Amino acid sequence: MRRNILIFIVSILTATSCRFFDSNRNLSREDFDIPDEIFEDKPLEVASEVIEDMIQNVSSPVEMAALIKGLKIPFNRDYIANTKEANNLNTNFQKAIGLGIYGADLGYINMYERTSLVINYITTIKTLADGIQVGQFFDFNTLSRIATNRENIDSLMLISQQSFNRIDGYLRETNRAQLSVVIIAGVWIEGLYLATRVAQDANHPRIDETIGEQKVIMSSLMLLLNNYKRDPNVASLIADFEEIQSLFKDVRITYEYGEPIPIEKDGVLTFQQNDTQTIIMSDETLKNIIKKVQSVRNKLLLG
Amino acid sequence: MKNICLIVLLSLILSGWSIKSFAQSEDDLIEICGMIAQDATFLKDFTIRLDAGDPPPTQRFSVILKKGIKYRFSVCNSNDYEGRVVLQLLDNNRLLATTYVVASGKDYPSIDYVCTKTGAYHLFFNFKEGKPGLAVGLLSLVETM
Repeated sequence: MRRNILIFIVSILTATSCRFFDSNRNLSREDFDIPDEIFEDKPLEVASEVIEDMIQNVSSPVEMAALIKGLKIPFNRDYIANTKEANNLNTNFQKAIGLGIYGADLGYINMYERTSLVINYITTIKTLADGIQVGQFFDFNTLSRIATNRENIDSLMLISQQSFNRIDGYLRETNRAQLSVVIIAGVWIEGLYLATRVAQDANHPRIDETIGEQKVIMSSLMLLLNNYKRDPNVASLIADFEEIQSLFKDVRITYEYGEPIPIEKDGVLTFQQNDTQTIIMSDETLKNIIKKVQSVRNKLLLG
Repeated sequence: MKNICLIVLLSLILSGWSIKSFAQSEDDLIEICGMIAQDATFLKDFTIRLDAGDPPPTQRFSVILKKGIKYRFSVCNSNDYEGRVVLQLLDNNRLLATTYVVASGKDYPSIDYVCTKTGAYHLFFNFKEGKPGLAVGLLSLVETM
């Protein structure tokens, strides 16, 4: 008897649960007693510690520059932002985005060891950093000395990168993580801008692929930005970036997975990844992305 | 008696001072780690501070790695703690690289990783045998491929 009751209950539960997932029936909000505040279009709330742990190294001033240089593409001063344009950047948001843009340019300059340009860029970066009260973390004096004396270029890279990391850390600690995310967005758009300029001039398939794979990076960046979309400036930046993101929808990325191979040589253990990534993107899509990225980046520099 | 007190006081101050001066700060560890990374270009540092535990507690960081770049992961332990750090690089659930190779029982202060797929990767740090520890991990760029 007990067994029969149990079977009966299980049958009822199974039947009702199946009904719940009935695809022919459109479930609406009215079907459930859900408080209104849950339906309010609130931005995703993520604690700053979670943001900090979420994704790091989304964009660095060094990697894109290294990729470009690695393709033996010569330095081009026309690619980088004119420091005079920093005068257009007045609000904290604009200064943060500028900090990212000029930071990426500094990475490009450092990578090509154009020390004669460094002073101009670190002066601009220091001014922007002071503007959002993080200038103390930008080691201007050391960078200036290294650039002036043409000392070790590795130190220039190290201190520049450390300065940016310290600014990032301090902004997060002082509950200004949105500015940190805006700086990251600035670094990313400028890195991508540099790639688009190279793509126009050099017609190199690897650069085209680099542009296409930004689709992956952009989704992480948008996740970070969306957390602060209540800020009207960030919302406007998101709107601009969404125009780029909509173009990336036409980029298809496929993967083949393989086991990484460890190789030990001269005491150095290297793991060679064996995954393959294929980017499928039409010339038309690439052209549209290039056009849009350049227009968004130029707009940001207008303040 | 006065002299003895003075000597004791000075000894205490000096011993306190020396303990403080030998304690390794995170910045010291980053610097040491930078030396381990040699000529690779510094990108990011990670501080790992974990209490003792069984199973060993883990600290996780997510990073974006880019195709066509050889990265170097370096680790450096604080001498003030027992724990020896182990770094594992994962992509979803696949172990892609580690600083501790179980088969050989060998620890590597740094490992290189040649990335062929742009995307999010996860760094898992723990201390061997769940001992308490303080360590720094460094991500640097070796070269483009």
